Amino acid sequence: MSKPEYVEIVEKVFDKTKQKKTEEFKYIGKSIIKWDAIDKITGKAWFTADLKKLFQNAVFVYSVRTKYAHAWIMKIDVTDAAKYPGVLKVITANDIPGINDVGYVIPDQPLLAYKKVRYIGDTVALIVAESMENAREAAELVSVEYEPLEVILDPLKIVEWGGLREKEHTLIHEERGSDVVSRYKIRTGDVKKAFEEAAVVVENEYRTPMQEHAYLEPEAALAIPQPDGGVTIYAKTQCPFDTRKAVAQVLGLPFNKVRVIVPPLGGGFGGAEDVGNEIAAKAALAALLTKRPAFLVHTREESIIGHSKRHPMIARYKHAATRDGRLLAVEAEIILDTGAYASLGPFVGWRAIVHSTGPYKVPNAKIDLAVVYTNKVYAGAFRGFGNPQVTFAVERQMDLLAEELGMDPVELRLKNILRNGDRTVHGQLLDHGVGLEEALLKAVEAINWYERRKLYSQQKGTIRRGIGIALMYHGNSIGAEGADFSSATIIIQRDGSIVFRTGLTDMGQGAIQGLVNIIAETLGVPPSYIRVEWPDTASTPDAGPTVASRSTVMGGNATLVAAYKLRQRLNKLAAELLGCDPDNIVINAPDVYCKNDPRLKITWQELVEQSFWKGVPLQEFGYFRAPPAEWDEETGQGAPYMHYTFGAIISDVEVDLETGVVRVREAVTAYDIGRVINRVGAEHHAVGGYIQGMGYALMEDLYYAPDGRVYNTNLSTYHIPTGLDIPEKIKSIWVEAGFRRGPYGAKGLGEPSIVAIAPSIANAVAHALGSKEANKDINRIPLTPDYVYSVIKKHGLLKK
Amino acid sequence: MIMMEEKVVKVHLKVNGKEYELEVPPNERLLDTLRYRLGLTSVKEGCGRGECGTCIVLVNGMPRHSCLTLTATLDGSEVTTLEGLAPEGKIHAIQLAFLETKGVQCGFCTPGFILMAKALLDKNPDPNMEEVKEWLSSTLCRCGSYHYYFAAVKLAAKYIKEGKIYFDEEEVRKKYYMKVVGR
Ligand code: FES
Ligand code: FES
Repeated sequence: MSKPEYVEIVEKVFDKTKQKKTEEFKYIGKSIIKWDAIDKITGKAWFTADLKKLFQNAVFVYSVRTKYAHAWIMKIDVTDAAKYPGVLKVITANDIPGINDVGYVIPDQPLLAYKKVRYIGDTVALIVAESMENAREAAELVSVEYEPLEVILDPLKIVEWGGLREKEHTLIHEERGSDVVSRYKIRTGDVKKAFEEAAVVVENEYRTPMQEHAYLEPEAALAIPQPDGGVTIYAKTQCPFDTRKAVAQVLGLPFNKVRVIVPPLGGGFGGAEDVGNEIAAKAALAALLTKRPAFLVHTREESIIGHSKRHPMIARYKHAATRDGRLLAVEAEIILDTGAYASLGPFVGWRAIVHSTGPYKVPNAKIDLAVVYTNKVYAGAFRGFGNPQVTFAVERQMDLLAEELGMDPVELRLKNILRNGDRTVHGQLLDHGVGLEEALLKAVEAINWYERRKLYSQQKGTIRRGIGIALMYHGNSIGAEGADFSSATIIIQRDGSIVFRTGLTDMGQGAIQGLVNIIAETLGVPPSYIRVEWPDTASTPDAGPTVASRSTVMGGNATLVAAYKLRQRLNKLAAELLGCDPDNIVINAPDVYCKNDPRLKITWQELVEQSFWKGVPLQEFGYFRAPPAEWDEETGQGAPYMHYTFGAIISDVEVDLETGVVRVREAVTAYDIGRVINRVGAEHHAVGGYIQGMGYALMEDLYYAPDGRVYNTNLSTYHIPTGLDIPEKIKSIWVEAGFRRGPYGAKGLGEPSIVAIAPSIANAVAHALGSKEANKDINRIPLTPDYVYSVIKKHGLLKK
Repeated sequence: MIMMEEKVVKVHLKVNGKEYELEVPPNERLLDTLRYRLGLTSVKEGCGRGECGTCIVLVNGMPRHSCLTLTATLDGSEVTTLEGLAPEGKIHAIQLAFLETKGVQCGFCTPGFILMAKALLDKNPDPNMEEVKEWLSSTLCRCGSYHYYFAAVKLAAKYIKEGKIYFDEEEVRKKYYMKVVGR
């Protein structure tokens, strides 16, 4: 089969530019003021809820949520609520014209519960009223009869160690007949033999928390009924086309009658996937049933109990190695808790198993993973998507192993990391673009690893420093999760300005700026010529979901293809007009000229105008599709992702033995992202991802009462890092190992930026404690002061 | 809750230099007055409980959580939101500094940070790094732009000291909109 044209274009551009240093580009890799930055420092940017001011006639939508985390619904009576002043309509499951389901991957999640509630955020009715106050007050009058069921919060009540078999228990999803959502495995080599022959074996159990995204913008949606019976919705969502599908399904409308527009997002981090569908569907229902614009905005409490979280993990790992530190085998059982609904759990589970042995050569592996339901808030996508959990376990294991072998953690890793030409645990050949060793060495050098490690090992006193390292790799884009494509449209206007359209969203980390830089570099125009339009299902092309670090790579490839084709046409016309060869045309807008004779020139505007008259199309659509991933369900062998981002993180921490308080003093991140496209965005990810990962390592978890209620539903009880918690310095280092099927060689960074932060910090804490026995107890995050103190006390570290 | 008779309170407010005679229910939050009555949507609601700082405005020059402030209590006060930090068509030095230090990510927290910075620099025109951090410690940024914002406050202090307080917005746009500013 011949290569699609779009692949050829991407490879051609890579081959032509791979020797070029990033400094030599005009826009690629430069620090560029982001397209939306001025609107944001002036306060003019519109986020979804801000649009409410344009619709004075809007009604308010409020979700009546369950009082029980697990119960049968016997009866819902809304008569009193419906009569409450200001109430226009109380919506229950019966009012849904289409299908009452918003499950992301499997249809297990009703928009409005009618038979059963499964977590404390389940919605049983919607109140639509003239004011938010009316709606909230009326909500108190909705009377629901429940028959409470056993609330299960511990995934070990669903499955058991030693095969992850499902146990006898009260079923949460009785309609599915099982509370195991999905299972995955890796089987390679002869694990039994490897363990028998191993010189050293380390084993431990690991736990990671249910992290909350805590984006500062709570979810909001505004739906406007259309004359033709359709609906237009402005919503906080990462994936407008997925949201449109969900809403159309709930409303029973064809896709083309549902229009989803996405204003700038005040953070997403993966959390604005499912809930975006949910709020858009709720607002749209209210708009259609009342024939008025309908506005829904969550309070922080509703946001915390009502949107997906990071899957908590419990895992048992066993590593085997030779005396000189070569990894022989990994055996593990991993349980991911997806809460009440699957959401993206099946995909999170798959990504977790793919990455479950870390960026190392592992000849023998036997890994089992189960994604299970509980009555917690449902878990879905969160920056890292299953990888931070397993990487925490793997990287802690590596440090236990180093200690067991009496080796430096860096040396042990150097012995085992993936390099060009190696095969992953899935048997995938990595034949180019593996910059892990370089990242590791650069990070080690930047922070003076060996000296600090030695120095800190000799400390006395109650304040101890420690330094720790963690490595990671992260498959870019969605791999075997689905059809992996993206698209973009570039339209040159007659005055020479440019409109750029893509269905990918900018969650605030600047992904879209990367695409702008690609257009600018390829066409030869300054980025300021380009205007970015809001994602809009009626005008921007479906670019696939904005997830999985795919904007720069997949969106970037599609954008590159469009820009490249336009550039070819413009070069050809300019060559005709100027009388030189198309390959000789230089566009450095506003100047266009022949390379060998710069006196032969026209302006960009003239070129555009001539294109118009000469029938050269000024708009182009770019498409790119990743090669289908390969994955064998029985063995976990194949090529799960097109390629991987690699990284090495080093954290330098201080532990107060008297209080258990951990502070990160300094950190270095080194990532191989192929090629830096968007320097500002890359740094934001490196630094912002670090800080979010530090929260994950030290302070963030959702705490549940035994009845399934969440204790910490606001920001005074759910703690995220403040400006006083962060390290003085977070240094970012870039390795540019290139990748032939990325735009100008680029790979993604959005998700990788959080993956190895927590283990680097945990490893540093273990180092600071300086005790072999305590080392094994640093096996869970968050490392809150009370937990760290309990470890210090248990091992009598204060006395020493 | 029992329906009370719709009581309203008359409040005289000066917001961003403009005088308003408002009639508001006694329990109306300043946040809602600003956002929904006056359309000043730079004021954000991140938590509604005084925990995040996205709703910060200046009341008589001092930072206040508008989510915890009742409009009815402010009769005769002067309120400044980000929209009013500089005269029409101008950008304040602090805003420019936030732009130049390139810290803005999603930008949802930015209005609160800028107004907090304004209050700090009014009180203490030359704060050291520790003072800056301390002062901004109650304002959250989930995207993790703290380092950049701290640097921005230092830069703003420098501009203000040099007497550069307002910049022409059009010129700033021309100079900075998607412009290459570094390597
Ligand atoms: S909304 Fe006022 S502090 Fe968060
Ligand atoms: S920039 Fe997003 S919260 Fe600060």
